[in-house]
Amino acid sequence: MLRVALKGLAARKLRLVLTAISIALGVSFVTGTFVLGDTMTATFDKMYSDLGQGTDVTVRGRPAFTDTTTLGSGRAMPEAVVDTVRKVPGVAAAEGGLTGYALMLDKSGTPIQPGGAPTLGVSYAQDRGLAGAIAPRAGRGPSGPGETAIDAATARKYGFAPGDRIRIVFESGKPAEFTVAGVLGFGDADNLAGATLAAFDLRTAQTVLRMEGKVDEISVRASDGISPDELRTRVAAVLPADLEAVTSATVAGEASKAVRDGLGFFTTAFLGFAGVSLLVGAFLIWNTFSILVAQRGREHALLRAIGARRRQLLGSVLTEAVAIGLLASALGLGLGLLVAGALRGLLASVGIDVPTTTIELQPRTVVAALVVGLGVTLAAALVPAWKATRIPPIAALRESAAPARTLPKGRIIAGGVLLVAGLPALAWAVAGPSRGGAAAIGSLATFLGLILLAPALVRPLVAVLGAPVARLGMAGALARQNAGRAPRRTASTATALMIGLAVVVAMTVVATSMKASVADVMERANRADLILKASSQLAAGIPADAADELRGLPEAGVVSPMRYGRIQVAGKTTSVAAVDPRTAEQVADIGVSSGSLPKLADGEVMVAADEAKTHGWRLGDEVTLRFPQTGDQVMRLAGTYTDTTLLGAGYLVTLAAHEANFSGRLDAVVLVRAAEGVPADDLKRSVRAALAGYPNVAVQDTDEFNAAQSATVDQLLGLVNVLLGLAVLIALLGVVNTLALSVLERTRELGLLRAVGMTRRQVRACVRWEAVLVAAIGSVLGTVLGLALGTAAARALADEGITVLQVPVALPLVYAVAAAAAGVLAAITPARKAAKVDVLRAVVAE
Amino acid sequence: MSPPSTTLLTTAARAVNATKLYGQGDSAVRALDGVSVEFARGAFTAIMGPSGSGKSTLLHCLAGLDTLTSGEVYIADTPISGMSDNDLTLLRRDRLGFVFQTYNLVPTLTAAENIELPLRLAGRRADPAWFETVVGAVGLARRLRHTPAELSGGQQQRVAAARALITRPEILFADEPTGALDSRSGAELLAFLRRAADEFGQTIVMVTHDPLAAARADRVVFLADGRIVDDMIRPGADGILDAMKKLGG
Ligand SMILES: Nc1ncnc2c1ncn2[C@@H]1O[C@H](COP(=O)(O)OP(=O)(O)OP(=O)(O)O)[C@@H](O)[C@H]1O
Ligand SMILES: [Mg+2]
Repeated sequence: MLRVALKGLAARKLRLVLTAISIALGVSFVTGTFVLGDTMTATFDKMYSDLGQGTDVTVRGRPAFTDTTTLGSGRAMPEAVVDTVRKVPGVAAAEGGLTGYALMLDKSGTPIQPGGAPTLGVSYAQDRGLAGAIAPRAGRGPSGPGETAIDAATARKYGFAPGDRIRIVFESGKPAEFTVAGVLGFGDADNLAGATLAAFDLRTAQTVLRMEGKVDEISVRASDGISPDELRTRVAAVLPADLEAVTSATVAGEASKAVRDGLGFFTTAFLGFAGVSLLVGAFLIWNTFSILVAQRGREHALLRAIGARRRQLLGSVLTEAVAIGLLASALGLGLGLLVAGALRGLLASVGIDVPTTTIELQPRTVVAALVVGLGVTLAAALVPAWKATRIPPIAALRESAAPARTLPKGRIIAGGVLLVAGLPALAWAVAGPSRGGAAAIGSLATFLGLILLAPALVRPLVAVLGAPVARLGMAGALARQNAGRAPRRTASTATALMIGLAVVVAMTVVATSMKASVADVMERANRADLILKASSQLAAGIPADAADELRGLPEAGVVSPMRYGRIQVAGKTTSVAAVDPRTAEQVADIGVSSGSLPKLADGEVMVAADEAKTHGWRLGDEVTLRFPQTGDQVMRLAGTYTDTTLLGAGYLVTLAAHEANFSGRLDAVVLVRAAEGVPADDLKRSVRAALAGYPNVAVQDTDEFNAAQSATVDQLLGLVNVLLGLAVLIALLGVVNTLALSVLERTRELGLLRAVGMTRRQVRACVRWEAVLVAAIGSVLGTVLGLALGTAAARALADEGITVLQVPVALPLVYAVAAAAAGVLAAITPARKAAKVDVLRAVVAE
Repeated sequence: MSPPSTTLLTTAARAVNATKLYGQGDSAVRALDGVSVEFARGAFTAIMGPSGSGKSTLLHCLAGLDTLTSGEVYIADTPISGMSDNDLTLLRRDRLGFVFQTYNLVPTLTAAENIELPLRLAGRRADPAWFETVVGAVGLARRLRHTPAELSGGQQQRVAAARALITRPEILFADEPTGALDSRSGAELLAFLRRAADEFGQTIVMVTHDPLAAARADRVVFLADGRIVDDMIRPGADGILDAMKKLGG
């Protein structure tokens, strides 16, 4: 039996490869994600351990809670602690260091803003033994107030060399100019995971970072014979309670973990895309095997008649599945290495630079490729294979082996029940905001129900969609008939397309609603004329001096900065916003429902009404907020507000409270309102002029702000759609495959048609229209489903800021038409094959 | 062995020195070996001969379904060698009709749709009067909405015959049209072909193994080893049997 199976495979090499590719693409996403993740982890692990070289113990502020967003934000300590530590027996050397914000400007004055990575200003270690792998590649370390040393990547990209002058912006103040004393390397790397870095001697660093007399980290080296753990214990003993001593291993471990956690989102997202692709691929495999089994019905019946047992038959079909699965795994693994590279490019395009090193291919990745490739293929082939064994031996003697099959009752009932349960759930989710549970359950049930019932929908859909096609002539009429003649086959081919398209359309609905929500918030809650932000989406913020500068402008009536931070409340990490209570209400309407924003005092907090309700807080209650640097702070609940969309945070404190608890001094946003009688344009002009010295501040009016936000959402949507496009592509491969198999099956019929006068052109048109019809069915189902799911999802995300539901019309239509039109492409090869059918085959076959 | 001489005007089709080789070199099979034959307009001709004698090959080459290795085939006065696939297809569609031994019908189309198929492929509709005449002649008026799977073998062959006639072709070719039918269905089909020749003046070329079928024809051409070995006008069943015996012995 194995022979029979393998012979069958060899005879259909092309189809084997085509089928395998559909799964391989999904597998390649899985392996690509793993390879990229492993490579990045390995790279960062090495980098952090290199950086920690020579340092045995690090002293730092003890964060009240750790979380990827708070890492490295320990509170500064007096420089005197360094001396205390130095005196601990067993300490060979100890040196204090500082890290803060420093944004370099290129030679034309444009900020050098890396995508996702920070712009660091650091102190340069005098004890080179404590400097880890950081060392000058050219020039020397900085010394004195006028000097800096910059990372090699920045120097290379922007053409800085020792001796050049460079301007640098800090958290406060206009750009200051320095001489580049040296260019720094980080072991083999040119920068720290994409971050830019400007180093100063400690004194200068304290000045520019506004940390006079302070350090935020002490690097300690042990004398010979003292273990890091021993040293850590000794150092810890002399430290005050708000400081901690940790070994380098701990520091490196935390840093790597932070990177991994940061990547977690991307990993999940990429694996999500892989899942969609694999689901689509599974449909294709299932379909291919169903057709193969149907076509081989007679062969199987004959084998049964001459004594093959059911198990042998099952084995023979599954052998083919195993071969395809193995091929898919192998192809997917190879492709995965390419995908890893492509994904890295994708991350780079959103600003996350990953240093290049050797690709990490771990055994786990190989195992995952095998398990996914084989698993999905086998699972998808199982039902068709089982059906092959149900063929009675007598079928060998019948004229037609595959009688028209109707949908099993169980499937109709299951599909019906799912739809009947899913649609109301979806409707319920659409009817009100934030009904996430109903949206999820409704989506899943509707989705599955539609998949189960799709074959029943094929005939009516073919009838309707095919009507205009049939009017085009005999080729169109035949195409319509062919599309409807094997509803299950058409359904599963179309379903594959439906899945991919539904996700794309749903994403579009969510994205459009997101954009509309931004515009709506601006319309509803914003009272400012200008919005000032850092010019890069990913920059930390803008210097506080910028706001001070504007307060002096006669055109500016109100200038109100906003800052953010991460806190923990009852063990859950959340965001806190900080505003100037006196001016905030003049630039924004946050829907205060109790208390008064202008009266908010420094020891008080305002809380989103929902949040207060969940915690059961009342006005005047004492609320404990845990800040990463200052720990638990008890604040009085002074009011509640209902509109969190503009603020983007459930907690609101004063700017002074923010300064007392966070070390960062950058404003996230500055809202400006024109003085009485000043036209908005005049305000904009004078604000821009006043901020000429702050190159990293973007000044936008509300229209510009909306446009910028839309552009960001569009960019993200584009990225997601590119990834989902893969699933659509696989689905189109499915159309190719199904058509090719159908053409093969209809060789005689095609020959007959050719004999009685169907031209090659008509044959091609017929196959092409069939492809378009199948694709159109997938498009229609996918678009409708996508609109429903997207609407439910957008409504469910109301709490995340999607307050307005906007269903796009044009874009889904474009997608649907494009997908249907892609059917033409999918039909090219099968149509050509069909046109080449030997006319005589119909006459002489059998 | 000269066929009855006819003028060009009354010749529906003719083969001149038709030769067909299958395969190459020593192992080549000479399916047709210099066949020259004319088919007069309005005549019902039967082609007979032992299995493998080249009957189907001749028919396919005459009908533009296959190409000759050398020689020429004319439909009326149109030479068909060198015609493009497209021209051949249009020739088949518009000027020729076929009935094969089996598998004549598109399974997804009804009987009526199958009958109209060549016209629809040309973007035309059937002339209703002619459609009724043809359908009436094959006795299928009440089966028109059925699909092939719902028709008996004999009915299917009659649908095929109706399809072959719907375009009023210059020649109707049939390759063992009764081969898969029982004697009664076969007789019905033959009666229909005979009527087509008599009433509509339809030119028919039919390959058959059945002497009784051949006896309904106006003329019987005998093939053996790719050559014409006999050519008789209305030989009657006895004459045919004699000729077959001669060939067999
Ligand atoms: N495609 C082909 N390839 C090779 N040889 C062929 C092919 N078709 C026919 N032949 C050979 O050509 C010769 C004539 O075949 P043809 O089918 O014309 O015979 P026939 O008279 O129709 O026989 P039958 O009465 O059995 O139908 C035979 O020897 C056959 O083996
Ligand atoms: Mg034959």
